[in-house]
Order: sequence, then structure tokens, then C-alpha cells
Amino acid sequence: MSREFCGSGEHVVSRRGFLGTLAAAGTAAFADMTALQALAVPGVSQDLRRNQKRVILLWLAGGASQLETWDPKPGVRTGGPFQSIQTNVPGVRISELMPKMAARLQNTCIIRSLNTRNADHGSGARLMMRGRIGEAAVDYPDLGAVLAREFGLPDSQVPDYVSFYFATEGRNMAPGNPGFLGARFGSMDLYTSMIPENIRRAGISEQDHRERAELRDVLSRGFGRGRSSLGLDSHNQAYQRVAGIMAHERLFDIAQEPQQIRDRYGPTLFGQQCLAARRLVEAGVPFVRVGRAWWDSHGQNFETHQELVPELDHVMCTLLDDLQDRGLLQNTLVVTLAEFGRTPNINSQLGRDHFASAWSCSLSGCGIRGGAVYGRSDALGNTVADSEINAARLFATIYRALGINPHKNYYLGSRPIPLTDPGTEPIREVLA
Amino acid sequence: MPPSQPRNMRVVREIPRQDILFSVARMPNSTRLFVGSSESKVYEIDAGQTTPQARDLADHGRYVTSVRLMGHTVISGGYDGRLIWWDLQANRVLRTIEAHSRWIRSLAVSPDGTKLASVADDMVCRIWNTTTGERLRELRGHAARTPSGFSSMLYNCVFSADGRRLATGDRVGHIKIWDVSSGRELSAVEAPLLYTWDGVQRIRSIGGARGLAFSPDGTHLAVGGVGQINNVDSLAGPARVEVFDWQRRQRVYEFTGQNGLVNRLVYHPQGQWLCAIGGGSNGLVLFYDPAGRSVIHQSNLPMHVHDVAFNDDFTTFYAVGHNKIAVVDIR
Repeated sequence: MSREFCGSGEHVVSRRGFLGTLAAAGTAAFADMTALQALAVPGVSQDLRRNQKRVILLWLAGGASQLETWDPKPGVRTGGPFQSIQTNVPGVRISELMPKMAARLQNTCIIRSLNTRNADHGSGARLMMRGRIGEAAVDYPDLGAVLAREFGLPDSQVPDYVSFYFATEGRNMAPGNPGFLGARFGSMDLYTSMIPENIRRAGISEQDHRERAELRDVLSRGFGRGRSSLGLDSHNQAYQRVAGIMAHERLFDIAQEPQQIRDRYGPTLFGQQCLAARRLVEAGVPFVRVGRAWWDSHGQNFETHQELVPELDHVMCTLLDDLQDRGLLQNTLVVTLAEFGRTPNINSQLGRDHFASAWSCSLSGCGIRGGAVYGRSDALGNTVADSEINAARLFATIYRALGINPHKNYYLGSRPIPLTDPGTEPIREVLA
Repeated sequence: MPPSQPRNMRVVREIPRQDILFSVARMPNSTRLFVGSSESKVYEIDAGQTTPQARDLADHGRYVTSVRLMGHTVISGGYDGRLIWWDLQANRVLRTIEAHSRWIRSLAVSPDGTKLASVADDMVCRIWNTTTGERLRELRGHAARTPSGFSSMLYNCVFSADGRRLATGDRVGHIKIWDVSSGRELSAVEAPLLYTWDGVQRIRSIGGARGLAFSPDGTHLAVGGVGQINNVDSLAGPARVEVFDWQRRQRVYEFTGQNGLVNRLVYHPQGQWLCAIGGGSNGLVLFYDPAGRSVIHQSNLPMHVHDVAFNDDFTTFYAVGHNKIAVVDIR
């Protein structure tokens, strides 16, 4: 198969179709960076940008309690002190700690039947970031890397995968991982500064930067004349991407937003980072993870959730409203997820412990049937009573909502690697 | 009054429960206890019976966090924000008041039985006429939000022995002392070490001024909670009590114990000791000599304790908490 695009209009194809063809041909598509150049056709790029899907993952690190958020059970032994409240979807109630989301559930679906069987922070986080259990021979990419691969544009001037995680607890439990897709689809990790520190100009003027880049380009072209080198092409693209990212440093700077918008998100770090996430997806970044740590309330669970859930409620609804107002919500999927939930049993410190047998997550926006509730836990919340799903089904659902075929294959050499575990079907009941 | 002997402390009885008990009041000259439960009800339980049976009293529909006695009336408050008066003799609800817009944390009855104070997470203390239910005063001044911008909590209130003063304590260790008759704020003291804000590892907080007690002469105010914690996931920090000369706004001494949270403080009426009780994974109790400034006795208890009621001569106490009532002798 030719690796060069002829440039003719009759050969313009959709990106998905193009990559699907490559996969069918058994080509290690991701390993061939030059194949992506074929998509650098103006018409195709604009089309992709306009319809580009994006994801913002609100990663509730440490494990938020489903009983104090999406699946309350007041009045039973395990229910805790908080009540449930009616949402704007008939018959659906959530925790009283989330009154703002209760008033705007029309764009959100709740899944209450996750049984992921892993109540360990580290391995549970890796499971829930990848949608599958790892294996020794294959380093699976996480959700952000897959979406960077699927939705990252070849001429993109912005990063494809950004992760905010400022708390020190849990930071290394599930760092961004591109797996076999390679570093090209790895995460830009922001741990201490809202603005990437390693792209800031270190005392060099903009003119100097530009002239250095032009000199590098001249030398690189000269070297490349008469030579064909994958490494050289990859190197050039990396420089172009970094130059582009440097030029868009302002994207990360929420001070660029009107004060009124900043006030809406509120003064907390989580609010600020969600505002940054909105800016990034608006500029075309396919995947942003905002890690809100640390929910691991082994003691004083109710005090902890009294502190954190109202913040989640406010920030999440502000984000959804903001995306909606900007016409972005229909193409942006907002996910709340964690490594697990929390035990229905209340321990002697008035805490709840790790629990992966019957917990909840939410999906909002792109491709989702708003107001849907899928699955049910039992009366005390100890087990799934109806429509149990695992991580793989959740991920299949996410991919399908984004228009990605969850059954497609990547290739590791000649070995096909399905995007989700074989036989996994998305949850059709929550898809629009 | 015979001297109590904390050093001789022994648990004489444990009454298992399915629920979590947050509060207890005891009918004088009896073993009749009135407890506030996670089952949303107030129960009467006679701890002197061979097989204690729980009798249903008021139903709050949500956690009952505080139960107090005024004569033959039980007054309770809970997460429903309501106060319920229950007539023990008529065996019925006397009165229900929508007292607070958020969760009631604690109640206190004045020594003369005429006033009831309630505190809640709407950060307001209200004082009520115990007989008529009339609202007498509203005490405002505790900040609704912590310095980090999160919702605060107002945990406790206590009257002085002469009934003239009232103290209230909140999430960040801010304590106010009020004049009961005028509602005027007389003083304030700070116990910031009882509040841990972790802005680095976990970006959340734990703690608060949970236990409050005036000394018998009213000059000192003891405040209890948990000291600074490295890992706010649990109560793995030292039980901590600070004692203030509240009129001078000075801390005069402090003491710490084993890991856990001090939920309740009680002074012996003759000043023999100050009792701090609470728990973490287990229960803890600590008796402190205020005059000698030394620990008399500290020990574990069979469960995390949320409240305690002493008998008339302070030689026995009834601790209630996680899935249990413990009857403890200190004679």
C-alpha cells in the first residue's frame, strides 16, 4: 500500500475510514507517522475539527462514595445521614448534596451497576483508566491515549492529551499511559502549574525562537533532501508540535477568561482546572483529565463528602452549562469516574472503605441519552441487583458514544489488539 | 458525693446494637437512657434490665444527633433540622419545630431547664424556651465557609454551670462565648490545631471543635477534638484537648492522648477530673486532673464513643457509640 496521498479529491476519505483500511491491511498504522500526513488536506481537517469529539474526564481519585452522590439509599442501615432529592428527570433521585446537578440531569446518564472487582487504588485506577485488565505481553493504552490517537489531528497545534493532577496523593497510581501506541499519544501532565512549565521560553525572545526554528527547518530540509527517514519525519513533527504548543501557551491560562466566567467556576483548584479543561477542548484538545483528589474517606466519610460533593456538584454543572452555552456539549463527553466506590458498611470512624462491587459513574453530553439510569444496586448497596457491567462495557459505551467502533483493532506488529475486550457490547440504553 | 476513681475504671456491661448511637441522656436516679440513633429514631433503653428493650420515641426520619432531657420531656434534634419534644408520660410528640435549615449537630439544656440551645450546619445557634418552644435568641457569627472555601460545620454548644454563658464551636476550631440573656458575644478563642487542612496531599480537611465543657466555676472552657493529622483519610491523629481562660482569651494548658477524636468533654462537678471521650477505630477515654495538670487515667473503650452520660454521683458512666452501649464503673 502506498504511503503517499496523491492529493486528488476523489481519494479524500474520512479519517476513520482511512485508518480502518490501514488496519484491515494489517499495517501497523500507529507506527507509521507519515500515514497521518495524508489527512493534512484542508477540507478534511476543517470537517474533523468541526465535528471533533472531545472528552473531559473528572477523575474522582481515591474513590468517591456512590451513596453520597449518584446512588443514595436514605433510611437504610447503610444509607448514612443524607437524603436523596428528586431530579428534573421523573423517578430519578440523587444525593441531596448535589442539588445543582439534580436540576440539570437532562444531559447526563447515571450508571449504578459497576462491578469491577478491584478495590486496590493502583491496579483499580489502571483498570478504570484503560477499561481492561493488563497483560504481561501488552501495555494497553489508557483512554486518553486512545482518544489522542483517534481524534488528534495531524496538524494540531495543541496537545492531544492533557492531565491535571495537583494533589500528591494518588498521583502515581494511574499516570497517563500511551502503552503500545507510543509516546506520541502520551499525556501532558500538569502537576504543579496550570500552565505547562517546560514550554515556557527561558529568557529567549519570540523573534529568537522563530529564527532558531527557521534555521533548524532549513538544516533539516537540507539533510532530508534525497533521504527517506521515518525517524527524521517523526523528529520534524515533534518540533512542529512543540512549536505549536508553545504558541498556544495562553490556552492554559484561565486569566484570559472574563472574570465573570472565572467566578462562575469558583475559586477552588478543581473549578479552575475544569475551566482550563473547557478552554482546551474548545481549542481542539481531544482529551483532558482533571484529577480531583483525594476522596478516600476511611474516616469521617460524611464530613468529607459534605466538603467535596458540593464542590463537584457546582463545578460539574458549571462545566456542563458552559459547554452547552458554547455549543460544545453535543460533541464533548464529560465523564465522572474513579478507581472504585465506597462500602455501604459504615465503619467505626464513620468512614466508608474501598468498594468495587456495586458502584456508580456518570456520562454527560456527546452521544449520551440524557436522563437515563442504567443498572441498579440492591437495597443496601452491597451488590448489583440488575444489569451489572464491568470496566470493558463502560469503555465500549464511551467509545460508541464518541462514534468509535469499540470492536475495531489496533495492531501490535501483526497481532490485532481489539479496542475493548472481545465480546464486549456497549450499553445501548444510555446511548442517544 | 463519693469520690470517683477513674483509675479503677472497668467496663461492667456491653449492650450490643445494630445501629450507631450519637447521643445519650439519662433520667436522674435511674438507668433509663434516651439515645439518638442512626436509625432516625430516639429510643428509650433501660440499661439496668437484664435484656434491655428499645422503646421507640420520636422519629426524625434521619440521623438523630442529639438528645436531651428536661424533666419528663425528651428533646431531640437531627439531620432533618427539626427539634422534637416528646412527652414521656403521655407517650407522644408534644411539639415539632423546623429549627434549622441544615443538619442539627448538638443540643444543650441550661442547668435550670428553662432554655435549650441548638447548633447546626447553617452555622447558627438558636436558643429556645424549653416549655413553650418559643425561639428566644439567634446567635450568629461563625463563618459559613472555611478559609479554603468549603462549607463549614457548627459542631457543639454547652452552657456554663450557672446558665449565664453559652459556648459554641465550629469546624475550623473557632469558639465563641455568648451571654445567654442578651445574646451578646462575650469572647472568642481559637483552637486551630483541632482542624487539619491538607492543601497538598489530599486537598481536603478533617477535625473541628467537637467537645466543649465549662469548668465548674465557669472560668475555663475545655475544647476537644483531634490534633494535626498527616493523613486526613482517617482519625489517625492524637486526641487533643485545649483549656482556655476564655475571659482572657488565653489557652492555659492542653493535653493529648492516644489516636482518636474527642467527641465529648465532661467536668466532674467538683472539679476532680475532666473526662475526654471519643474514639477512632476503637473507643478512647481520658481522665485529666485540672489542678495537678496530669493524666489520671486513659484507656480504650469497646467502641468509638459519640456521647456519654454519667450517673448522679459520677461513679458510673454510660457510653454510646458505634453498635454498642457500654456501662463503665469508675468507683
